[in-house]
Amino acid sequence: MASGSEEWSAAQIDDYETLVSTTDVELLKRAWRNEKAAPEILPFEEALVKRAKEQIQLMEETVDDFAESGHDPLIASLYQMDLDRAQFLLRSYLRVRLQKIEKFMFYIWKSDTHRNRLSKEEEKFTERCIRDIGKHLEETVLSKLADNYQSLLKQSIISEEDDMVPEPQLDTFVVAKCQRAMRPLYLDGSRQSASFDRDDHFQMVPGDLCILHYRPFQEELMSGNISLV
Amino acid sequence: MHGRKAYQLVKDFASGEKGHLKSFNNELFDRVIEECNEHHNALQSLIRKMQEEGLEVQTAKNADHYGALIHHLSLIRNKRCLMAYVYNRAEIVRELAWNVGLLHELPHEIQEKLNETEEQYFKDHSKSLKLYMSQMNLDVNVDMVPPKDPYIKVRVLEDLGSGIILSDKTANFARHSMHFLKRTDAEQYISRDKDVSY
Repeated sequence: MASGSEEWSAAQIDDYETLVSTTDVELLKRAWRNEKAAPEILPFEEALVKRAKEQIQLMEETVDDFAESGHDPLIASLYQMDLDRAQFLLRSYLRVRLQKIEKFMFYIWKSDTHRNRLSKEEEKFTERCIRDIGKHLEETVLSKLADNYQSLLKQSIISEEDDMVPEPQLDTFVVAKCQRAMRPLYLDGSRQSASFDRDDHFQMVPGDLCILHYRPFQEELMSGNISLV
Repeated sequence: MHGRKAYQLVKDFASGEKGHLKSFNNELFDRVIEECNEHHNALQSLIRKMQEEGLEVQTAKNADHYGALIHHLSLIRNKRCLMAYVYNRAEIVRELAWNVGLLHELPHEIQEKLNETEEQYFKDHSKSLKLYMSQMNLDVNVDMVPPKDPYIKVRVLEDLGSGIILSDKTANFARHSMHFLKRTDAEQYISRDKDVSY
């Protein structure tokens, strides 16, 4: 084994690393970490979740087969552990999203960009959440106030925009890791620099870690060029 | 005193232990609502007075205008406080729905801390979560902590009777009996505080 690994060329190791980093488990882990670290809700990884569910089912069958055939119990429990981990990852991913929805339901619901990031099931969930909390607040508080102050989203009818909606804090700090080479980032999150002598931009190369506000990373995160840690 | 009661209401919530509910403070809550209506009445009568004097409410910058403004501002501040009180409590109620609501009724000690609409909200939200899970065909409220070992040892604290169906067998959960279970099977019982794992 030892002599074998010494003979591995750098190219082979690279190949291996790319292979590992594109397996579904790795992708799911990355999606989960991104979701956990990002202050706002990210696009739902529909295809990935579907694949993960299928693979988990397959694994469950394998574990059952092992249990029935009375095969080596150690191997069976190793499979079981692997299965448990995969399930935790999937559940936790979905859970983090639901909790974000609970927190920012009105915010997510009122903009199409955010609403389109939800899965069908999540959309339904958001709708119900809004209905339930709306009803609750209505019955407890709003119905007892004067007409002009009964809005759920506005402080009073003279408010021009919805000023009672909790919003995610997009300026919170995140740790970002560069995955692929990309264009320079501007600190205020803008795409183009107005003039060439702006010095508030920086370049990240793959593997770089950087701690900064969430906002400048927003776009690159969606395109998969960076991931959050 | 403008806004004092509402401030006490919010403070009443904030002084509680994090994640735990105190009893719904009906008395103070109703006082704040009352105060809101007093503000509203005062506001209305000031506006009426200005109209009777033939002044434009929006543009006349006399004492009555600012008086009305103060009442308006006090009112929306009270509203924010009331909403914050109910909303933050609702957040805890949602957490309860995650932890206990999907299987069972709330334990009595917690239930008596909620008011009626909060109880209803708890039920509604549990239903929404359940619906999501049945649509996804996946329970998202188990596996709350990353798994280490697929099996855990549990001791039953309260008699749950025999014939409890686990994924691979049925078990008799008599009081004080000990079991070696799959973690996924045991978790739902642990979250109800009926079993203790170690």
